Amino acid sequence: MSLRERAGSAFDNPLIVKDAVSRMRSWRAPLVITLYLGLLGSFGYAIYAVTLLLSSSQRAGSAQIGASVFQALAFFQVALIALFAPGLAAGAISGERERQTFDVLLVSRITALGIVWGKLVASVAYVLLLVLTALPLFAAVFLFGGIDFEQFVVTQVLTVLTAVTIASTSLFLSAAFRRSLPATVTSYAAAFGGMVGTSVAGALLTFVAVQRSGGNDVHPLLFINPLYALQVVLNNPNGAPVATSRLLQLLVLGSGPARTGGPVLEPWQGTMMVEVVLIVAAVTGAVLLVRGRRPPRRPRREPALEGEREAAT
Amino acid sequence: MIAVEALEKRFGRQQALDRVDFSVPQGEIFGFVGPNGAGKTSTIRILATLALADAGSATVGGIPVAEDPHGVRELVGYMPDFFGVYDRLTSLEYLEFYAACHGVARRRRRRVAQELLELVDLGERASDQVDTLSRGMKQRLGLARALVHDPSVLLLDEPASGLDPRARIEMRELVRELRRMGKTILVSSHILPELEELCTWVGFIDAGRMVAVGPMADIRERAAGRRLRVELADPSEAALAAAGAAIEGRSGVIGVTRVEGGLEVAVETGFGDQDLLRHLVRRRIAVRAFAPAMGGLADAFMRLTGPGQET
Repeated sequence: MSLRERAGSAFDNPLIVKDAVSRMRSWRAPLVITLYLGLLGSFGYAIYAVTLLLSSSQRAGSAQIGASVFQALAFFQVALIALFAPGLAAGAISGERERQTFDVLLVSRITALGIVWGKLVASVAYVLLLVLTALPLFAAVFLFGGIDFEQFVVTQVLTVLTAVTIASTSLFLSAAFRRSLPATVTSYAAAFGGMVGTSVAGALLTFVAVQRSGGNDVHPLLFINPLYALQVVLNNPNGAPVATSRLLQLLVLGSGPARTGGPVLEPWQGTMMVEVVLIVAAVTGAVLLVRGRRPPRRPRREPALEGEREAAT
Repeated sequence: MIAVEALEKRFGRQQALDRVDFSVPQGEIFGFVGPNGAGKTSTIRILATLALADAGSATVGGIPVAEDPHGVRELVGYMPDFFGVYDRLTSLEYLEFYAACHGVARRRRRRVAQELLELVDLGERASDQVDTLSRGMKQRLGLARALVHDPSVLLLDEPASGLDPRARIEMRELVRELRRMGKTILVSSHILPELEELCTWVGFIDAGRMVAVGPMADIRERAAGRRLRVELADPSEAALAAAGAAIEGRSGVIGVTRVEGGLEVAVETGFGDQDLLRHLVRRRIAVRAFAPAMGGLADAFMRLTGPGQET
């Protein structure tokens, strides 16, 4: 099978088609898109108006307006994605159980990986649709200037990867819980912890680390926070690279002079690496949990030898 | 086609299945009868590869369920006692979805789905959304769903549960049609009249233990004994008394009892029915009807699962 055929067969999953058809036929699908774009557009316009007012007094150019609006929109979009993604993915597997359709799926030929993959793609596809529908808004702001193409691409990739991470984690929790309500509640708690919890804890640990070893490097916990990564990408054109040996030193709150060995990481690179690891772990966990719903296959028994059979009798 | 040997299953301290044994020959409709909680669903879930037995073995088409569940899934169509449907999918899309899940080739899915909708008499509801169908229609659609990969064995757990009389009759006819198509069918139910006219084999399970298994006629006979029903052209008291006297005392006759409209004669296994008829005719007793008396399935179940009865 060629690579193209393999890629094609990965998306030839009945659950993807079924969930997409089913979701897009509901009244909620256009409502969520309208709500999402409405909130994003209103927020963007409010920031634009405020920046315009402030810039008229400070005589700032369009580049400054563009940078401010783009930055505000990027943060707001990640926050909205963190709000929508758990709701879309947390009921994916537990909902099958509640609807009493899960057993029927388990007796079909579809594998546990196929079920989890299909559910993940179906959930993420809708989030991607939200991100795609917002692209014209970002493109319009991009015309003001103040943001280069690399910043634009990294922002969008970070947003999408964050959406996939939240969806994967929610899917894992959906496989872990029998009912959708606890799965949804814990998914929102996990998303909140990832966004706000790591910001607060990261800031506190950074303060402690700076007190112990000096310097102005941040604690690695902030490296897993997509909001911090966005903030660095959009505000600091030169980035905020930190050597991995220094990150390890900060991780254990080690004292002494700052270490400089090992490859250098940008916060957005660190965030993406951690998110990829989280996605792989969550999907693997979900597959194992779904596989656990099917009884394990017993090893085939070898036919007993004549002597053994006689001895047994 | 289905063979279950010494199957055991425990849920905590409760013994759900206790050395359950039975087999279902190919092409038969096996009625799996027992009260709620007797172990029917546990057995079916093991056969459907959804649960693992603690001990014993089960095979479908010669394939061990525990050792080759993938192979068994190819052979088995399973319809659970309760199942949901997806919202906002049409009946046709619903079946196409499950056909895809069972690996039916993309080019064949639509045709398979259309043929199955015709089979279960839902051809005209192909474009209706599944959640708008009546309970009976959903059950028929569920049966069609179990057939998407053309399995040779069907496991139907309480297929007529919650259906109105008309829907039950339709479901019964559908199961008969599937037997004509060569399928081996295991139907569980605790509603005996539902199975009485449908099944060719029957197995009684009670409190996790098999009480009786075999062809329907044998089970009825085993429960009720072999009985002949004799109706006379003259149903007067004198004629019935004369006929009773002529029958009683003959070799192989266990007893004669009067029933409404005639006599019921309990006979030993291997008794020559035709000899008794010939004897009555020779005695110039005008016989209007002479046939084996059939006990009801419910009667057989009560006798076999009554106090003191063992396998």
